[in-house]
Amino acid sequence: MRNLFKLKLLVGIWTGKILIALTRIFGRGGTTLPGRIALKIAPQLSSSLADHLSKGSLVVTGTNGKTTTSALITGILKEAGYNCVHNQSGSNMSWGVASAFVAAASWKGNLFEDWAVMEVDEGAFPGVTRNIKPQGTVITNIFRDQLDRYGEVDHVLGSINRGLEMQPENSFIVLNADDPSLAGVKSSNTKKRWTYGLELDLPADTFENTGRDLKVCPICSGKLSYKKIFYAHLGHFYCLSCSYVRPEPDVKLIDSNTNPDGSTLLQVRLPGEEIEVYFPLLGTYNLYNLLAAVTCVKALDIQTSLIAEALKKSVPSFGRMELFELDNKAMVMALIKNPVGANEVLRTILSEKGKINLLVAINDKYADGTDVSWLWDVDFEQLAFNKDKLASVTVSGLRAWDMAVRFKYAGLEPAQIQVEENTAKAINKALEQTTAGNKLFILPTYTAMLEMRRFLNKIGLGKPYWEE
Amino acid sequence: MAKINIYHLYPAHLNLYGDRGNILALCRRADWHGIDFEVVPVEPGGEVDFARCDLLYMGGGQDSDQKMVADDLKTRQSDMSRAVEAGMTIFAVCGSYQLLGQYYTTSNGEKIGGLEIVDLYTEAGPKRLIGNAVIKCSLWNPPRTLVGFENHAGKTYLRTGLKPLGEVQIGHGNNGNDKTEGAVYKNVIGTYLHGSLLPKNPWLTDYLLNKALCYRNQAFQPAQLDDSLEQQAHDSAIRLAGSRRHKRLSSRA
Repeated sequence: MRNLFKLKLLVGIWTGKILIALTRIFGRGGTTLPGRIALKIAPQLSSSLADHLSKGSLVVTGTNGKTTTSALITGILKEAGYNCVHNQSGSNMSWGVASAFVAAASWKGNLFEDWAVMEVDEGAFPGVTRNIKPQGTVITNIFRDQLDRYGEVDHVLGSINRGLEMQPENSFIVLNADDPSLAGVKSSNTKKRWTYGLELDLPADTFENTGRDLKVCPICSGKLSYKKIFYAHLGHFYCLSCSYVRPEPDVKLIDSNTNPDGSTLLQVRLPGEEIEVYFPLLGTYNLYNLLAAVTCVKALDIQTSLIAEALKKSVPSFGRMELFELDNKAMVMALIKNPVGANEVLRTILSEKGKINLLVAINDKYADGTDVSWLWDVDFEQLAFNKDKLASVTVSGLRAWDMAVRFKYAGLEPAQIQVEENTAKAINKALEQTTAGNKLFILPTYTAMLEMRRFLNKIGLGKPYWEE
Repeated sequence: MAKINIYHLYPAHLNLYGDRGNILALCRRADWHGIDFEVVPVEPGGEVDFARCDLLYMGGGQDSDQKMVADDLKTRQSDMSRAVEAGMTIFAVCGSYQLLGQYYTTSNGEKIGGLEIVDLYTEAGPKRLIGNAVIKCSLWNPPRTLVGFENHAGKTYLRTGLKPLGEVQIGHGNNGNDKTEGAVYKNVIGTYLHGSLLPKNPWLTDYLLNKALCYRNQAFQPAQLDDSLEQQAHDSAIRLAGSRRHKRLSSRA
């Protein structure tokens, strides 16, 4: 019986490895199909391989910030001398986790890594947690996302709680103190609960937060109010009817100074100490990602001097304000997938000094979310209010025409909107509109991003994402 | 100048699937047609004079909001009902559409009373009906298509005599069985389709604006608008809804 089990595992790993090699020959990442097939052959594959880790697993879940947070955690652990297996390209369903394990495993079915750092989709979270028994779970935030798959925000919280029940005793949970919806996250006494939050004076954003899912207190349904609000429903909240109030965070960001290049010098207060961090990533949402990562490694007792050293070297993760350059024209690629995330990306782009060329590529495949109605909850009106900053606008993807209509109703002139459904051709057309020295901002959904990166790799830009 | 009052019901609570897109479409097209308009947000517990409302928009809500909304709405039942009988236009999507009916039975058997404005009822089904949907709609002669996206656990059944909004060509519709989608009663339209529905079905937007104007004896003098982007979005959405990839996805859901 044991031998049969071992054999199945090996066949699963071999098949997965061969499929990864094959899919890469065809210019694809091999982050979905190989894992799927390998799991069909050996359903226990991830859990068996996770048992080989010398230290254990960490899981990052939540709506936004999973990819960057898990990349930051991996960066810090590597700085501390550990080897990590990590699903860095954002393939975060059970098969994405399995693909990452298969790629890291040896042909004999061994795994010599210390840590597995996995970003996991909220819906896949219970299953993955049951399999890989993470020592720590980071929950970044809960916003509205891909409702076609999960129904509603209420269901997402239910899924997260089911997952946490599978976590072993004496493990820990890291939560965003500024997100009131995480009040419903259940944990037992045997688990240490760490929180993080911003303690800054940032200007509140002017975006219409139609993506603000939480209007009422999750405990008593009274009206929720804020002393400070950073974006969407993240901030220093308190309930007007009951005693629910933002918890005092264990790890706080107490000061932030922006450098001319957009990088920041941050002051982070941890229990008993303070560190100064030079952080190259832009955007308020990345400050939360940084805090989530710092809190997680603090829970693992990683030396703080190493933390600052690793964060200094942070580069944008897969498709998160990633930079490509061609003929003196810069392309910045930023994934969009839900209203809150897209609004934050738009806000960051609009803080750009020069003229903006924009390419928005919307697909509606399963990994993108098949329902594109979320586009109407994104505050694209902000672009129409800043028309003089817009040099050109191109829309692309399977849902290019939906996006064109969205821009028309946001207040752009139809004649201004260039439509090209093919994503590779759209990059070329948008680049033609971009004058030298200016930037083209590419905002794709997940599968549109994979298509575009394949095209960019083909013309020699960037590395294929499985080599990073 | 012709003018309409658009009441937006509980914008903070009923805004689940791009409901903002529907309001935006109504406002933009009113503007392009030279119709003056005002959007009045209606908040739970607030004073509402339905006698002043020409077009009431009701969006979709999360389960947790739905009950609060139902309780609040019931206090306004007779006012709303009177306005509907007089000819007020209502456009209700998803959760609100269900609320217009007699009752909704949840998956654990709880029966939530509705507004009883439209003769229909809803029962929770075993699985969510999700996917792109195309219907043939007879509000026009010849009929026109409407294309949107549906995502609902409730199965809605129309009582005899109540007209559906359209006949399902692709998708599930009211209940996945009888090929009906939505309902039309007087100037009330209820539907499961979002997407957002109005921007890429501009003839429905204009239909609602027209009804709202007629209610106050104002003439709709449509401007010649270039709807080619909307038409393209409509046509491409129908193509995608009929694609093999989409069929695979909706069977998975």
